[in-house]
Amino acid sequence: MNVLIVEDDNALAQELALFLQHEHYHCDFARTGAEASEKLYVNEYDFVLLDLGLPDQDGLQLLAEARKQHNLQASIIILSARGSVDDRISGLQLGADDYLPKPYSLMELGSRMQAITRRKHGVTQDTLSFGGFVINLSERSLRHSGAEVVLTRREFDLLHYLLLHRGRVLTRMQLSEHIWGNMISDRDDHDSNFIDVHVKNIRKKLGAFDTRDWVETVRGIGYRFKPTQEV
Amino acid sequence: MKLQQKLVLLTTLSKALMAAVLLLALPWIVETLALRHTDESLRSERQRVMRRIEQTGIESFLTEPYPDQKVHYDLLQDEFIDLRHAVRSQPDTVATLPRQQHGELVDFRVLRHTFQLKGQAYTVEIGKSIASVEDVYALLRSLAAYALAFAVLTTLLIELGVINFLLRPVDQIVERLRAVQGPMPPPLPPLHTSTSDFKYLDATIRRMLQKIRLVFEQEREFIANASHELLTPVSILQNRFENMLQAENLPEEAEQQIVTSQRTLHRLTATLRTLLMISRIENEQYARNDTVAVRQVLREVVDELEDRIADENLTVEWALTGEPTIMAANGSLLFTFFYNLLSNAVKYNHTGGQIRITGQQLTGQPYMVQLFNTGRPIPAEHLPHLFERFRRASNVHTTEGYGLGLALVRTIAQFHAFRLQVASNEQGTTFTIWLPTATLRHGAV
Repeated sequence: MNVLIVEDDNALAQELALFLQHEHYHCDFARTGAEASEKLYVNEYDFVLLDLGLPDQDGLQLLAEARKQHNLQASIIILSARGSVDDRISGLQLGADDYLPKPYSLMELGSRMQAITRRKHGVTQDTLSFGGFVINLSERSLRHSGAEVVLTRREFDLLHYLLLHRGRVLTRMQLSEHIWGNMISDRDDHDSNFIDVHVKNIRKKLGAFDTRDWVETVRGIGYRFKPTQEV
Repeated sequence: MKLQQKLVLLTTLSKALMAAVLLLALPWIVETLALRHTDESLRSERQRVMRRIEQTGIESFLTEPYPDQKVHYDLLQDEFIDLRHAVRSQPDTVATLPRQQHGELVDFRVLRHTFQLKGQAYTVEIGKSIASVEDVYALLRSLAAYALAFAVLTTLLIELGVINFLLRPVDQIVERLRAVQGPMPPPLPPLHTSTSDFKYLDATIRRMLQKIRLVFEQEREFIANASHELLTPVSILQNRFENMLQAENLPEEAEQQIVTSQRTLHRLTATLRTLLMISRIENEQYARNDTVAVRQVLREVVDELEDRIADENLTVEWALTGEPTIMAANGSLLFTFFYNLLSNAVKYNHTGGQIRITGQQLTGQPYMVQLFNTGRPIPAEHLPHLFERFRRASNVHTTEGYGLGLALVRTIAQFHAFRLQVASNEQGTTFTIWLPTATLRHGAV
């Protein structure tokens, strides 16, 4: 899939591209609004990752223009330092598909892009399975051969996120960022330590149905949901 | 008190003072004038009497039955003329003296004049009854009182009208200033007035408002730029660390270092975001058009914290009376406000502790919400500084915060005009919030 990264900061664009290429996306770059307009006119993209603070124009202007004229199939995700609720609303109202305030986690971006792709292709893919477990996203439930495994809201979110990135090491910080978002408070290590408590509970609840260890602890770093072939 | 009211009061008081002084002085003035007038007429009477004596001789006055005295009263006995022999001549006198009349003593204004005629001294007394003079007094007094009242009232009315007219621009200027809300006042048209002072005042105020708007806009632009400039390098680092972690065969030690760096970066991000949020609230960049039900937002916050509450085995007690609703609020800011307070109540509690959420409306007071937790007491000397930026009471709590959570709480409270207070003792810590903009939807229960 083709991605246009509209970002005036070269280093940031390169880091984004590095991650996306690893995820098998094909990346193209635009540093200014004019360059982006031109590329959007000539090429077809599946995703446009749009920074709002461009040197020659406001990204929102580019977004409105892009939505009006061409590339109607491209999904636009705004990546901006302007992260207030009002900014997000105006971005989404102008036709953006998602809005991530800087700094964002690449994993978070990856899962949002996956979600958009699934929606776009009508693949609601409501269920994900591992071993004998089936996780239902619209019902927010987890079952093992028909029996319900009762999870709290946080535990469900955490398991789902680990499952989406199965085989990958996720740091406590990444998990905490996903669970609590950018909720503003005096956050401290308590939140990331809390991830351990959640994982412990998830293990206990899964263990009641299947004794295999699904979530692996990566010492000092975080957790990894084991790829199915490993378990 | 308004300037106009003060001027009206001053004018009224000065008129009242003037009227009082005049009313007190009037009897004396009138009396003096009336007496002077009476004395004048007595003197002219004396001249006429003297002329008569010169013309007809004294004998025609002093007739046989009373050869040494002649008293003549007029028809109403208001006036008399008394002529008699005198022992020696004396200078003229005018005085108020009692005289016998029908067996009673009655006060008369009497002019006494002695003169020599053919070697014999005579005294002529011409008197006017004081009662008749007093009639004149009364007439004069009421005339003066009417004139005074008329003068005071008409000048007062004229002055009030003029004051009102002249000071109208002041009212308009005050009204305009009252209407200015927040740092983005709308541009105002010039004021219609011919008074140069007011013209200057109005122009100055409009210029200042313009300047405030400009400075505010510059500041807002600066914040937007600064946030972009600061958040972009932070994003680069964060993405780079994440990419590094994805590399295969990374030595464990390197992984650990990256994770530690990520944590530091996360702290920087949190601080940056909170600072930006505080300055955005202070610049009134948040809309305030939500109506927030306090019970509901508290419920949402408690739900958000349910895992941590369960983990610490805390009990949450509710005692919220009525359905307080905050008008003209920002819902997401209020969520952050209560989230920060309650997450502190969880964080600094002991396992198995308590959180109490109470709310009530005392008569004549705004609605009061209290959030109590059974955490360790905060030393009294730390309490006044609890809401200051980067003020950490690291010796109080084992876990350090970033020192901005309660500063943000205070900023949101100020934005919504809440009053905030904290008290702490051996039993625990209570945050009290008065919500002056809150109304009770269904009345107190």
